[in-house]
Amino acid sequence: MFRFPLVRVQRILRKPNVCALRFTSSQQSAESDEEFDNRYEAYFAKDGMDAWAIRKGINDIVGQDLIPEPKIIVAALKACRRVNDFAVAIRFLEAIKNKCGSRVDEIYPYIIQEIRPTLTELGINTPEELGFDKPELAVQNVYEMH
Amino acid sequence: MAGRLLALSARSIKARPVPLGAAGAHSNPALDATRAMIGNREIVGYGMNGQPHYYDRSDIPLPAIRWKEATADIKCLREKEKGDWRQLSMEEKKALYRASFKLTYSEFKAPTGEWKQIVGASLMLVSVALWFYMAVRVVTRVPLPDSFSEEKQQAQLRRILDLHVNPITGLSSQWDYEKDDWKK
Repeated sequence: MFRFPLVRVQRILRKPNVCALRFTSSQQSAESDEEFDNRYEAYFAKDGMDAWAIRKGINDIVGQDLIPEPKIIVAALKACRRVNDFAVAIRFLEAIKNKCGSRVDEIYPYIIQEIRPTLTELGINTPEELGFDKPELAVQNVYEMH
Repeated sequence: MAGRLLALSARSIKARPVPLGAAGAHSNPALDATRAMIGNREIVGYGMNGQPHYYDRSDIPLPAIRWKEATADIKCLREKEKGDWRQLSMEEKKALYRASFKLTYSEFKAPTGEWKQIVGASLMLVSVALWFYMAVRVVTRVPLPDSFSEEKQQAQLRRILDLHVNPITGLSSQWDYEKDDWKK
């Protein structure tokens, strides 16, 4: 009689098939996806970046019609570490979860899986671990204060 | 143009601390106006449009200013933030977040239930309109003409049958003219 030991296998998620992660609509800017990724990764990896530029970069990448590649996210988190701003890193992760839209259940776990080494190395918790995935505070709507 | 100047001066405000009440403060009216608006909060970025406002927006995650003013315990947390983040406790990490941001994504995207107010108010107005309609119908009622009485209606029916109105498919086709009664 064979006894199989119960082994907990960590589910390694494959990259979700998000077709056309980025639409290049204009004919002039024929930047490929790799060039785009490299450009943003180089932006966040630049030495001597201050907190102002990092915030601008994060607002820009969140404003694009795409979900950033894990390598860009890793570069941005390391930039947050360099300028000693923890809250910005958490906000960026929340923004990425929001960018996943309706496919958050398949894309967000993959991204967290990919950036988990960086998260443990820098000591950044995901918003879920901090309890920010459920509402904690409720404030009155400013438009309904009389 | 003025917005751009304000944005540029906002960036320099971040670098230079201006002593309050000194003569130097009055040489920068943009700074005074900004400080009067936002208090002692640190201006940290470009934000949405360069103006030093705070907002919670899902499409622009990082506003131009922090949410809370720098009090003593927040300053102490900032010192700790410069060290290893693994040394921070959960409460300190949450406090750091709340110092920079008012609401988390899940909080400002939470459903407000406003649709219930709107649907309820609309239905109430519709019911008021229906009441008005019924009132108008009641108030403007006039007595029926006497041609609606039972004998007069029977006389009209007799006349219809005598004229053979609609004899093929209508009322007169149901009348038996030999027996002078309805067909069985």
